[in-house]
Amino acid sequence: MSATVTSEFHMSIAPAPIGFLSRLWLPVLLACTLCGVVRAQDAPAPAPAPAENRALDSEVQDLKKDVVDLNKELFILEEELLFPANTQVAVFVSMDVGEFFALDSVQLKLDDKEVSNYLYTPREADALLKGGVQRIYVGNLKTGPHELVAFFAGKGPNARDYRRGATLKFEKSVGAKYLELRISDRQRKAQPEFEIKDWE
Amino acid sequence: MRTISLIDRAVPALLSLCAAFAVWAADTPLIGREAPDFSLRAMGGDNTRLSEARGQVVVLAFFGSRCNTCRAQLAELDGVRRTYGPAGLVVYGVSIDDSADDARGFATSVGVGFPMLADPGKAVGREYAIDRLPTLVIVDRAGKVRYVHRDPKSHGEPVYLRELRRLLDE
Repeated sequence: MSATVTSEFHMSIAPAPIGFLSRLWLPVLLACTLCGVVRAQDAPAPAPAPAENRALDSEVQDLKKDVVDLNKELFILEEELLFPANTQVAVFVSMDVGEFFALDSVQLKLDDKEVSNYLYTPREADALLKGGVQRIYVGNLKTGPHELVAFFAGKGPNARDYRRGATLKFEKSVGAKYLELRISDRQRKAQPEFEIKDWE
Repeated sequence: MRTISLIDRAVPALLSLCAAFAVWAADTPLIGREAPDFSLRAMGGDNTRLSEARGQVVVLAFFGSRCNTCRAQLAELDGVRRTYGPAGLVVYGVSIDDSADDARGFATSVGVGFPMLADPGKAVGREYAIDRLPTLVIVDRAGKVRYVHRDPKSHGEPVYLRELRRLLDE
């Protein structure tokens, strides 16, 4: 059993009525006018003098600077709105030496809830080793006791997989709270050391 | 009579145009937007962050170990990367397999020279609205998504090669 579907398209061109042609003049006139405007715009403008170019350049640079400044102000405003100073909590990561530990990832749990899981690229780990400090998390917390748990994963001594945790119980009062996850080397034991510092 | 025949022809044409637009809009929610940044673990390598490839043209090839078309496409992309790598082309394969072992096995068997990243949680897949495989996402030097190829039939090499050449010239 087969079904056959045929379709035909008939195109009929009926002779245009006389009134139709007479109504064409307005669109044609409009099209001609538009063409004229476009051509006038396309016509090469006289080249600006070098002094004008310089003035234009400096104006563009000023505008760019204004945009950058405005962007910075907006960013600060956004931060202030989203994370007001009295509820804000921010966690930073820093590394010192890194002879016994190559950082791969940091997982953060705040009051038993995962708030960040950050994978580090070699470039980022390198930046931390050069003294960079990364803000890994920023959020809001109500006043009272809280607990922060951080898990550090990477390659430990002898390039073995290494995973350690660090916990800090802290009291959040009115005002911003800054915590620092610090990774350093314990030379005596030839082991990395992980600690959480509370910046009062 | 003439009016009726015009409507008869215009309505289906309009409807098909609307349908085509709807399909295009649904298929390209990312185009023109900044590519969502991610950091993923590479199979047998370092972690990779997309934003670190800013300034280069990036091809994200989403694949799965059960997708046969993906295998051919990844091999094809490896050739493209060898040709255009020096001009600033970076290719990342992104596996959205649940099993890391399956993904690793597949990546090893394909044997390509670009990083194969694992997205077992599918967080990146969700951000890029991956609903079929293979999917190619092409990101320009400024970090914006410029092309998305979801239909395997449109994955013919010349289609995306032309686009890549254009982006590499920008």
